[in-house]
Amino acid sequence: MKKSIIYLFALLPLSMMAQVDRSKAPQPSPAPVIKIGKPATFTLANGLKVFVVENTKLPRISTTLSFDMDGIVEGNKSGLTAIGGALLRHGTTKMNKAQLDEEIDFLGASINASATSVSASSLKSNFAKAFGLMSDIILHPSFPGAELEKIRKLELSGLQAAKDDPASIAQNVVNRLTYGKDHPYGDITTEETLNNVKMEDIKKYFATYWKPNNAYLVFVGDISVAEAKALAQANLGTWKPGAVPKPTYKEPQPPAKTYIAVVDRPASVQSVINFVTPLQLKPGTPDVIPASVMNNILGAGSTSRLFMNLREKHGFTYGAYSSIKSDRLAGAFSADASVRNEKTDSAIAQFLSEFNRIRTESLTAVEVGNMKNYLSGSFARSLESPQTIANFALNIARYNLPANYYQDYLKNLSAVTPSTVQSVAQKYVLPNQMHIVIVGNAKEIAPGLEKYGQVRYFDVYGNEKSAPVVKQTDASVTPESILRKALTMSGGEAAIATLKDVQLTGAASIMGRDITISQKHVFPSAYSFEASMGGMALQKELLKGGKYTLVAQGQSQEPEASDKEEIDERAALVSETYMLSKPGYKYSLGGIEQVEGKDAYVLVVKSPAGRDYTNYYDVATGLKVMTSSVEDAGPMGKMTIKRIFSDYKPYSGVQIPTRVIVDLGPIKQDIKFTDIKVNTGLKADDLK
Amino acid sequence: MKKWLFIFSAGTLLTTGLFAQARKITFEKYTLPNGLKVILHQDNSAPVVAVTALYHVGSKNEDTARTGFAHFFEHLLFEGTENIKRGEFMKYVNDAGGNLNANTSQDRTFYYELLPSNQLKLGLWLESERMMHAKIEDIGVNTQREVVKEEKRQRVDNQPYGSIITEILKRSFKEHPYKWAPIGSMDHLNAAKLDEFINFYKTFYVPDTCVLSIAGDFNTADAKKLIEDYFGAIPKGTRPIPRPNITEKPLGGEVRDVIQDNIQLPAVIQAYRAPKQGSEEDYAFRMLSTVLSGGRSARMSKVLVDQKQLALQAASIPFFNEDAGLFINFAIASMGVKPEVLEPQVDSVVNSLKAELISEKEFQKVKNQIESNFVSANSTMAGIAESLANYEVYFGDANLINTELNRYQKVTRQDILNVAKKYLNKDNRVVLYYVPKTKAAPTGKP
Repeated sequence: MKKSIIYLFALLPLSMMAQVDRSKAPQPSPAPVIKIGKPATFTLANGLKVFVVENTKLPRISTTLSFDMDGIVEGNKSGLTAIGGALLRHGTTKMNKAQLDEEIDFLGASINASATSVSASSLKSNFAKAFGLMSDIILHPSFPGAELEKIRKLELSGLQAAKDDPASIAQNVVNRLTYGKDHPYGDITTEETLNNVKMEDIKKYFATYWKPNNAYLVFVGDISVAEAKALAQANLGTWKPGAVPKPTYKEPQPPAKTYIAVVDRPASVQSVINFVTPLQLKPGTPDVIPASVMNNILGAGSTSRLFMNLREKHGFTYGAYSSIKSDRLAGAFSADASVRNEKTDSAIAQFLSEFNRIRTESLTAVEVGNMKNYLSGSFARSLESPQTIANFALNIARYNLPANYYQDYLKNLSAVTPSTVQSVAQKYVLPNQMHIVIVGNAKEIAPGLEKYGQVRYFDVYGNEKSAPVVKQTDASVTPESILRKALTMSGGEAAIATLKDVQLTGAASIMGRDITISQKHVFPSAYSFEASMGGMALQKELLKGGKYTLVAQGQSQEPEASDKEEIDERAALVSETYMLSKPGYKYSLGGIEQVEGKDAYVLVVKSPAGRDYTNYYDVATGLKVMTSSVEDAGPMGKMTIKRIFSDYKPYSGVQIPTRVIVDLGPIKQDIKFTDIKVNTGLKADDLK
Repeated sequence: MKKWLFIFSAGTLLTTGLFAQARKITFEKYTLPNGLKVILHQDNSAPVVAVTALYHVGSKNEDTARTGFAHFFEHLLFEGTENIKRGEFMKYVNDAGGNLNANTSQDRTFYYELLPSNQLKLGLWLESERMMHAKIEDIGVNTQREVVKEEKRQRVDNQPYGSIITEILKRSFKEHPYKWAPIGSMDHLNAAKLDEFINFYKTFYVPDTCVLSIAGDFNTADAKKLIEDYFGAIPKGTRPIPRPNITEKPLGGEVRDVIQDNIQLPAVIQAYRAPKQGSEEDYAFRMLSTVLSGGRSARMSKVLVDQKQLALQAASIPFFNEDAGLFINFAIASMGVKPEVLEPQVDSVVNSLKAELISEKEFQKVKNQIESNFVSANSTMAGIAESLANYEVYFGDANLINTELNRYQKVTRQDILNVAKKYLNKDNRVVLYYVPKTKAAPTGKP
């Protein structure tokens, strides 16, 4: 090299000296050697199997006790394990719940319990005490009766919230149809089954299944095998072993032919569609890894085929996914999406087309290669948590996997080829043997579904029922005639005219809280309504001297024209008198539908103030049995609100419903009017 | 994806650190000639690496007429660079089996990639590309403007109680840029021209505002060479960095307001002006906060939720930032309970801290909880990399990850009583009632 140019090198910008090509992504270094630690393991004399993953990075220990069970058929006591599991943490024979909370916080620890596991974690310095508390919860729960009722109440209100939720309905029906009622996965929890759960059932459950010889105890963290042994022995060594029943269940079979199970939910604007085939796919079998690659390509995440097709290309849905589950008792392939009513048919077609495509069209090496990269990277990252090592060991023990199953995971993953992916697709994605469960508005979505298979109807608990019959209204029936009949059957205009004032007092219960309802009418034009709880007003409406007042949760609201009109209709008591007297209402007939099992005329109303709602009038009695409207419920979006009227009784010749169920979907309010007074001389000024 | 740090951001930054008994976290720290600070924590126990870049720019560095810029960049800088095509930033990470995200607070913007350790180079390439030559173009700006608007709708406007932090900040600060939240103003973002975005990038996204903090499975010597290769050639910043130097005057009287929101249950929020992060009083405050809401047996949940059943949920949130702090109490009323009924009960719990020293037993409980949270905090490479960067940027001392707990150990019961008396006073707070905007759920009428 010429000396004269050496200085030029010194002047070169750093970027040129650094030999790095920025124009494309750098190649990865050789794959890291994956070291999967092996936990120490030992068994106590009572049969409790213990695993210890010692990891001294942090002076902290966590532990989990779990039971080797696949679940039980809870049947008419479904909810038993949910309630029982929660109850464990609510007191031991030594401490009530408050003392337990205080003690756990004092240790800077956390302890959680369910019907199939208990876990605890804390710093090493407090771990012996935390483990002592956890052991106490395991061995000496006090099962306090008052706490049981608290938990039951919580479960009941949770259930109420889920009852009208289409996704929860879908889950229940899918489970029942796929696994059947004699299988643990086919249980459905209802209010009735929750109320059937007795303390003896809970105690019996724990006495039967919670045996040390049926359990695994895992320690992860800064704990040596000797320390773990000493702790386990000292706290759980006295735990008595015993025989544990190992029930077996009939293996669920795929349906012989694909069919459509429709659960009619007239209020639905979206269909919740689920595709399910039960499978025999046990954990650790050779198909599991290629099946996971296949499913990830088909429908996991936001770059999968189903997502790209149904959301990105067609815009039918916010998301479409599939999953494949390996399971000792019963595996399954499933896929689902929520789609707009009118796209139900087309969405099913696209799902089936993607199912067929992955079975028949060759996959590219790039597509499979990228997915393998993704999965191996995720696997490597998962190893950061010592808990992963413990889970691996637990799976190996529980499912009887080869000892080197996880050590060989990456090797087996890298052996997956496009053709193995396709062959598992052919084996497990069975478009001709699926339960296609749809929760939605049957009237709008059912036409056209026969091309995918027989269309059958089910109730929300998976019981088959007959198809809803579309009944035609008689040509003589008009909106006017329906309203007139309602008026007549309510007692007639003459009887209604004799009403000077009416006072209704009632009660309702909402999410376990008691609400008092007081409603007053002074005809023709004064009206008040108040719902209160424990003496505090939740909501008030007042119409007096032509002035409208609305108060909700202590805040005054400015009534709009539509609010005023709604109050006017209510103030009339028999709202049809108001509707017939005011010009500007527009009506159309929506045929006949069932309300609470009875035929009712559907009257679609557009009010002068622009409100849209639907009234339902009993075909036989002529009385109004329901109103339904869609309201804007803020962050929850649109919400259908139904008011169901029943238990009509005559007062001064006028039929007044003494029971009103307000159905907000997640919340239902059952109002019973226990005291109704008529013509007591109430004055408009008395209304406040 | 890419979330704007909402309420707990700065508040949680300091809850990382280790007690005396914890293992020491070793690291190497150095500065490149272009000003880039590098912190490396080598840990070869699992085949993962966290590549993180913390830029010392947050919403407080924004122009008063261009609020939301810092957070907007958190989106914009995923759009692509001279060598990374639009939309491919994420795909590179996904295809490597990695994960990535970013967040923005009032004081800083933080980006990270979590990768299998053989992809360290990929992480360095992505972060160096982001710093060196991000493409700031109309197409990306327009796209991300829509995304940020959607984010605001989803996280602030449509989220029950989602506007709390915005509403609190604008009443708690009159002068300091802490008066706006990182999400900023959509009008400002709409009005901004492309060259304003380019200027912001050139000002703040330079090596001297950044800490590159990497933790995980690598060899430190090799990593240093790679970092030199990817970042060494990036030129030093040439523009002055705007950093506010404003001391906010005392609040000077209680500020009260009622906010209507899309909620079902009212909430009471009290925000007290409080010391800035890292002060001695800050540590006393954090212990006080644990007394109030550190677990199922803490005073707020025990009294308001369990015993009196007036609140569905009650919590205290230390919201302490670089220039100033707030201490926030937040309680959602049980059904049928008015905020007017709930607030005095919250006050009575708070006032109990001013009336007398907490008991030795409760003090010990709080110490135990704080110690336990600390030790548990640095359990991942991502967490360690972020903590090291935070300590370095805010306190100039990354080693606080090992020593910060000493600062808590100095706090006495008297210190807790003192901060309660000094700060938890009416004329030092903003009180908001959140009440349902729409009519309450209709009840039944025949």
